[in-house]
Amino acid sequence: MKRQSHLIVTGAALLGSLSLLSVPAAAQGRGPQQGGPDYLGGCVAGTPDPPAANAGAGRGAGAGRGGAGNAAIGRGRGRGAQADPAPAPRLPDNKEAYGVNAGKPDFGGLAKGMWNVPYIVNMATQGTNPDGTTPIVVPCNAQAVKIFQVRQDNKMKDDPEGFCLPPGVPRMMYTPYPTEIFQLPDRILFIYEGGAHVWRIIWMDGRELPKDPNPNFLGYSVGHWEGDTLVVNSVGFNTETWLDAAGHPHGEQMKVTEKFTRPNMNTLRLEATIDDPEYYTKPWTVVTTATWRQGQELMEYICQENNRDLGHIGAERGK
Amino acid sequence: MANTKLLGVLAGGVGLLLAAMPALAHHSFAAEYDAAKPVTLKGTVTKVEWMNPHARFYIDVKDDSGTVTNWEFELGSPNGLMRAGWTRNSLKQGDEVSVSGSLAKDGSHLANARSVTLADGKKVFAASSENENKQ
Repeated sequence: MKRQSHLIVTGAALLGSLSLLSVPAAAQGRGPQQGGPDYLGGCVAGTPDPPAANAGAGRGAGAGRGGAGNAAIGRGRGRGAQADPAPAPRLPDNKEAYGVNAGKPDFGGLAKGMWNVPYIVNMATQGTNPDGTTPIVVPCNAQAVKIFQVRQDNKMKDDPEGFCLPPGVPRMMYTPYPTEIFQLPDRILFIYEGGAHVWRIIWMDGRELPKDPNPNFLGYSVGHWEGDTLVVNSVGFNTETWLDAAGHPHGEQMKVTEKFTRPNMNTLRLEATIDDPEYYTKPWTVVTTATWRQGQELMEYICQENNRDLGHIGAERGK
Repeated sequence: MANTKLLGVLAGGVGLLLAAMPALAHHSFAAEYDAAKPVTLKGTVTKVEWMNPHARFYIDVKDDSGTVTNWEFELGSPNGLMRAGWTRNSLKQGDEVSVSGSLAKDGSHLANARSVTLADGKKVFAASSENENKQ
């Protein structure tokens, strides 16, 4: 019911913002790899179907984005991402040792290696729709369009990640900092090199999501397996994070559903659905991929150590 | 064993000298730097800060009148640079360098380094947060 009122408001906002649409599509040029602040399409509802060429260029946005740097980073350490990848490994089918994760895809915790996380500035242009096309039409309501455009006009200077704060969910998988995933019998643990050198627990013991969770940066997460897909439901987010560096907003009521799969040895696919009626007229979904780096290790990254940029940027908290 | 590993990393890093390897940026490039204002400066390294979230180095630049100005350059994160084969000793105090990058918007003597070339022509730190967050 609340949705419908948003829908009406958005319709009006949509018309008001149509003038912004032509710019982004044309300005894309090289496609979604350029998620620069001059691109406003990511939070303008009603974006028309992308030109075929654009969709084609964006097909591999998730993987391709990381690819530019990843290919370089991963050189000489086992197979490259472009080589015919081996199938994803599985955890031993041993319930005693692996609990709910027994026999399920191994997300890397038993191997020595790490996931190279892509740098997604703008989810709408650098992520893909579930069918692989881009850009994603983000169903922003009027309030979201307003906030997004202010953040873009400010060149994203107030991005909380610039303050070394945790990027949030699902943005932890859009930072350019690698991660490792450990599957314990009743929970799954993510440890992140950066963003803010934090960890995240996905409870797999069948518990319900809390009714009135204390809002925090990474929320409260429970997960379960649907076949070979890890489905994670999260609530309880504070409003100290942006969904991406481009400035897509979210509120405290946001629910995030993440579907993690490992389609092959080298690829971790994340399909994240944002459900936040405060800012979006309907749930919307972004697909990104992380790339396996055999033999590489996480390193210490204390962002607060020498964070001298803020003064030059003129960044302000809470914008 | 540690040594073999290090050699492997270094050997791999050589191939990267000219690669535009995206570095790890945790803040908006556009808010701090102007990609439309490229700058190339030559000078002597006075200090290297091998710290997170960005490695930084400083050079003394002498202009035609002999006035010396200290310039600060921002690189990617130390981890990103190390994965590309660089170390905290790749650039040292006293090195003569030529640096190309983008000027800070606030007019301070700060720039984002895109390429750093030593006096002997060898390139170091071919990484910049600019590559990741281009305008």
